[in-house]
Amino acid sequence: MSARVVTVTSGKGGVGKTTLTANIASALASMGKKVVAIDADIGLRNLDVVMGLENRIVYDLVDIVEGRCRLRQAMIRDKRQPNLHLIPAAQTRDKMAVSPSDMILVCDQLRDEMDYIIIDSPAGIERGFRNAIAPADQVLVVTNPEISAIRDADRIIGLIEAEEKGPGRLIINRIKPEMVARGNMLSVEDILDVLAVSLIGVIPEDESILISTNQGLPVAMNGANGSIASQAFQNVALRLDGKEVPFLDLTPQTGLLNRFRSWIDGR
Amino acid sequence: MGSPQAKGYWIVKAHNSPLVSIKGIREGLLITLGNCPYGELISELTAELDQKQAFLQGSKMVLQVGNRALQRTQLSEIQTLFEQHELTLWTILADHERTRAAARELGLATRLPGSQTDLEGKALPSSSRPSSGPESTSETSIGQNGLILKETLRSGRSIYHDGHIIIIGDVNPGAEVIAGGDVIVWGRLRGLVHAGALGDLSAVICALHLSPTQLRIADQIAVPPDEYQRRAIPEQAFIRSGQIIAEPWQPRT
Repeated sequence: MSARVVTVTSGKGGVGKTTLTANIASALASMGKKVVAIDADIGLRNLDVVMGLENRIVYDLVDIVEGRCRLRQAMIRDKRQPNLHLIPAAQTRDKMAVSPSDMILVCDQLRDEMDYIIIDSPAGIERGFRNAIAPADQVLVVTNPEISAIRDADRIIGLIEAEEKGPGRLIINRIKPEMVARGNMLSVEDILDVLAVSLIGVIPEDESILISTNQGLPVAMNGANGSIASQAFQNVALRLDGKEVPFLDLTPQTGLLNRFRSWIDGR
Repeated sequence: MGSPQAKGYWIVKAHNSPLVSIKGIREGLLITLGNCPYGELISELTAELDQKQAFLQGSKMVLQVGNRALQRTQLSEIQTLFEQHELTLWTILADHERTRAAARELGLATRLPGSQTDLEGKALPSSSRPSSGPESTSETSIGQNGLILKETLRSGRSIYHDGHIIIIGDVNPGAEVIAGGDVIVWGRLRGLVHAGALGDLSAVICALHLSPTQLRIADQIAVPPDEYQRRAIPEQAFIRSGQIIAEPWQPRT
């Protein structure tokens, strides 16, 4: 058994890297995979909060790297999903506390006992980003349907290629099908037209994500509450695992007039 | 143990630093350092970066240090110097094993992807010719040498070449292509292209789909009108009566 290391990154901040990391990790765990999520955003740690494990942190990634604890001691097991683990980031240090080779070393030690290692990358293209992608076998690039996020994603894809980390796969997050239909938001096709990479998921905007994030309970956990976003996360996890899953039909249920209008706008 | 060639006498142009030469390569910009004591080198490099910062910005930097043995602290000092100028140093090309080891410790690459170096990062002879320098190419080469890239240039990529540039692929927004000669994009041009950057008014820019953020030819700058983006036909941009204009490509018989 050798784990695959998957890094979730975006360039731009606030597009949903951490939420996606938590939910993909959780969805994979609910499929029976052994998963560890690593927060590489040292100094601005969030993943523990989103996963609801903040109060159980004793040691963190920097403690492992600097030898203050064993790897095992810093791994927090999620009680709700025994297959799911978290290695939190340090909050009191910065990105320079860890080097790309440290990350490779940590992941190599985990490979034997895990199926998936999901790394949450910080925003930006500096040291933190380089730490996060150094051990990656596969990189997932997250973007929103906004020009600025797409521009950053494009840059990130270029950097990933330069690091010889493969082409990367794209997740489009927070898409609003109604706005796309009205021609007020970039569509999946528009985004793919610029970025030209393979798509692994489209996550619709969903209030339940914000609610669950605040509760520290990933929506993908045990397919909680069956929201459409939760389904989309499950699908990303399945595709990551090599399954063929059709993309969700996100076309809004609107009247004939709207559909006609969007058809005209689309020309 | 200095290398025998390049002492600096033969350099003619006074304003060009003999110790630091910058030139565009496939992977970004290659900075080659000449032979001199380390201290002098740093001050020379600082001066060069100060002077050209605006021009260099956003490029991927590759530093060729020749066969000098640099400590980790020295390399990290150089790295900091680049950071201070808002430039990112990605790769150190070094002949000396100790320098390469130090570079790897700092998380820097020691070879260019798919380049003329072995896996260890040892430069094979053809990639290290510090003495040919930019002087010999700047005036003579236009029309003689071309650079062909078969890839899509994504945001943040910067290609500089003093001859013609042909890109088989797209040029995305945020990428820039700067050529002394013509630029041909066999794909969609959505970024910035500067043709005739050394002053050639007859330079042209061709693309299968011309919808750039900005076009520059010699010292002219143009921004395409809005309706432009809808036209997905091959076009050619050039200067006519002092202005950049674009025309649909007409096959001539």
